[in-house]
Amino acid sequence: MTAFTPTASATPRGRIVNVVRMQFVNRMTFVWIPLIILAAVFVFSMVIWLMIPYGGPKYSGGAQALIWYLLAVGIQSLTLTFPFSQAMSVTRREFFFGTYLTAALTAALLAVVTTVGGLIESATGGWGLNGWMFYTDWTWASGPLGSALSVFALAMLTFTAGFWCATIYKRFGGIGLTLVLVGVGALLLVALWIIGRFNAWVAVFGWLASLGVVPLSLVVLAIVVVLAATEFWMLRRLTP
Amino acid sequence: MTSVIEVENLTKRYGDVIAVDDVGFKIEKDVIYGLLGRNGAGKTTVMSILTAQNFATSGDVRVFGEAPYENARVLPRMCFVRESQKYPDDAKAPHAFRTAKLFFPNWDQELCDRLVADFQLPMNRRIKKLSRGQLSAVGVIIGLASRAEITFFDEPYLGLDAVARQVFYDRLIEDYAAYPRTIILSSHLIDEVSNLIERVLVIDQGRIIMDETTDEVRDRAATIVGDAGAVEAFVAGREVIHRESLGRVVSVTVLGALTDDERRRLAASGLDVVPVSLQQLIVRMTQRAADSRVPNEGALR
Repeated sequence: MTAFTPTASATPRGRIVNVVRMQFVNRMTFVWIPLIILAAVFVFSMVIWLMIPYGGPKYSGGAQALIWYLLAVGIQSLTLTFPFSQAMSVTRREFFFGTYLTAALTAALLAVVTTVGGLIESATGGWGLNGWMFYTDWTWASGPLGSALSVFALAMLTFTAGFWCATIYKRFGGIGLTLVLVGVGALLLVALWIIGRFNAWVAVFGWLASLGVVPLSLVVLAIVVVLAATEFWMLRRLTP
Repeated sequence: MTSVIEVENLTKRYGDVIAVDDVGFKIEKDVIYGLLGRNGAGKTTVMSILTAQNFATSGDVRVFGEAPYENARVLPRMCFVRESQKYPDDAKAPHAFRTAKLFFPNWDQELCDRLVADFQLPMNRRIKKLSRGQLSAVGVIIGLASRAEITFFDEPYLGLDAVARQVFYDRLIEDYAAYPRTIILSSHLIDEVSNLIERVLVIDQGRIIMDETTDEVRDRAATIVGDAGAVEAFVAGREVIHRESLGRVVSVTVLGALTDDERRRLAASGLDVVPVSLQQLIVRMTQRAADSRVPNEGALR
């Protein structure tokens, strides 16, 4: 009969890092697939730029393909990885912070890649084709760091949107999610009505444009924090 | 005996339905338990509350003396792999095992590798593409190789063939002998696990109706085999729970322990006493407990 030799139990912080490693155990989801999407979209954009005879600047909105992928990652992180984390005896708190740390690392990776892309793009005058996918005057108004911040914030917002909807769905069911989304839609409608009522469209767009990329990214990140806080509250009472 | 789990007045309601009804019991250290009961009796609900995967409506649960909810000191000492466990979408079995190694401090990679070979588990296929039996094998391997101080197996054999089930029972006993720990095995293949389990917890319609050692349960009844006339004479006036006959030979199971005097009488009249089937006994007790209650079926998790 051999006695148990309990290995030094991982510290609380160690277990959160282990959640990151759990999410990255299969590197496909968080690293390779986003990079493959980005590379494919870039190549497609190049081909399209080559096919367009127009000599002026040509813009590609292809980078947003990534954003939609992150929405799906956010949903699956909850619906599939949360039940698995429960089987791994991970606390809900450890799962939450570990998963957000993973999302932040992926968002940072995307920010670095797109910013490096933007630097090359501006140095080569749009890859020698006057084609622009990463660099826009507005997002680069505050330099490469401002652009990186905007990509990071947008990626976090997309991931959070997926994670938020999935959490509401798991906690309150399809009817709960529908009611919340209808509520969000109604709020937006009220906002539109108020702006229209006061004839304030010009002022609103002027304000958004004047805000600049860095403050706007910070506003987006603040929204992410608020949504994440509600996720955490729901997750605390969630069953796998 | 020290207990590792203590449960008092545990109740779980889903709306109007009571899944667990004011239950109290203790789980002793280093004992193999059989958590037995019909589908929807509340087995999975109890196990998920003990592991803090689900929440009690009321009552008190202590694991290693502490509340398990969000408790990072307690949870890593337990392992509960569900019968319907979900895995990350594109994960393969090695991904699941590598993750388990991160979180279970007593994880034994050698045991894991051996079990993979025993169950002939394909390592290169996504878990969602595995057959039902292979999916069960992934859970069984995590449960065994994690060597958690308390391990819950929730109907671990679904889809496993007889050979694979025997592999599971053999490896469980072997590893338990080398590394004693508390094991709670929920099953409705009662006779198949009856040689494995030391204590029996029977749950029926959310209530614990039996909490005894397997030997005590077996002593509650006896099966008498022999010539029909002699057997019938002996069992007259006793509560018969099972009867089989083959020509002139009958086998009758009666409730109640036999006294030494009765055993001598049986021997004198040429009748044999054979061990009772745990399954028959528990089925009978469950039916009895259900008689006084309103039926309440449905898969409650």
